Amino acid sequence: MSMNGFRRACVAVLSASLISLGMQAPAAAGVVGTAEAIASQDRNARAVVDATLARADVRAELERMGVDAAAIEGRLDALSEAEVATLAGQIGEAPAGGDALAVIGIVFVVLVILELVGVIDIFKKT
Amino acid sequence: MIRGAPVIATLAVALTGCATSPPLADGLPASAPRTIELDSTPYFPQDDYQCGPAALATLLVASGVDVAPASLAPEVYLPERRGSLSLELVGAARRHSRLPYVLANTADEMVEELEAGRPVLVLQNLAASRMPRWHYAVLVGYDADRNVAVLRSGGERRLEMKWQRFAGTWHRGGRFAMTVLRPREVPEHAEPARFIAAAAGLEAAGQRRAAAEAYDAAIARWPDEADAWLGRGNVAYADGDRAAAAGAWSRAIMLNPTSAAARNNLAELLLEAGCLEESRRQVERAAALAQGTALEPAVSEGRSRIAATARAAARCELEDRAWPD
Repeated sequence: MSMNGFRRACVAVLSASLISLGMQAPAAAGVVGTAEAIASQDRNARAVVDATLARADVRAELERMGVDAAAIEGRLDALSEAEVATLAGQIGEAPAGGDALAVIGIVFVVLVILELVGVIDIFKKT
Repeated sequence: MIRGAPVIATLAVALTGCATSPPLADGLPASAPRTIELDSTPYFPQDDYQCGPAALATLLVASGVDVAPASLAPEVYLPERRGSLSLELVGAARRHSRLPYVLANTADEMVEELEAGRPVLVLQNLAASRMPRWHYAVLVGYDADRNVAVLRSGGERRLEMKWQRFAGTWHRGGRFAMTVLRPREVPEHAEPARFIAAAAGLEAAGQRRAAAEAYDAAIARWPDEADAWLGRGNVAYADGDRAAAAGAWSRAIMLNPTSAAARNNLAELLLEAGCLEESRRQVERAAALAQGTALEPAVSEGRSRIAATARAAARCELEDRAWPD
């Protein structure tokens, strides 16, 4: 095979693979998702975060928070890149809605402490 | 006997962040009914800390999805936090082909959603701003005459809460409220940008059919919104319908000639179709528009790829040979 023939074959294979890549995974190869397009219009958005990095970060955080490894990818896939970037570094602190019942306990403890140190006397019968 | 009263008052203010809300009747639009209650909203008593899955299941079942809180828990629950993040509730709603619509941070949209028959998921902070106790509940109604909010909450199927107290907990919770929409449902009060962004979330989550229906509904309502056409094109392209994608992206560019994303995507399609010259022209314009934005890396990658393909196609296959004069 001559040098030219080899180069031509390379170009053909490369072009074919690039084009077929585009057809198999359209969202990944070249096409910009609407969510990313909208996020890029936001002038107040934080500096561009590497999407792959943010995803790895959130994946690790979810695992640390006790999420079943098998469920993690599905949870990440349900979010846009911008949303994953928002979550990165926030999973430990962002509001996590949980139980309503323990509230009464905390208020009660605060009241008991205040009562014991003599600030209030709501539990006394006069 | 009341020597502690000022202390208690101070404490109460410190704990609640002194959020004072007006009674419901003061803020209620004149057109809104005095009383609404969505009686048929299902109720799922929450297990330990699992108010996120329970509240989300309430909304999904109300919108016709067959799902139970137990099967939602693996999609949203964070065991170490003993709770769920609102963004993950949004993601989970998408996984069930519903469009999660995050409401504006005023109570008006909640009332309008209730009027439309959709229960509203709210994040409450039941304790203090500095010592938060986060909780999800579902607002299913209100009574302006009695000044109460009606909720499905935790262990209570029907919890009445004084409106100011409810509004205060919601305010301290960061005013997060959402509903889930069926395909093609567009709220009366919806803003195009917020609705289209919500549809884009479905697209990002790979819910192509639901996303397509949401974009179609958006286009029917706001035919001149370029991003709705961009999204419709993206879904069509992912479905392999190049003709529809080309049409939608072209429309997006006509409506917004500075849309780097639409030009970039059209250039990709033109490359695949072998229309190299036009592909290059579009991607050059996209690259210029994307400069300095978050899209720059993606567009410049496409630009070099398209340029390389064009060079390869234009290359003389016998260039190393000498030719007679």
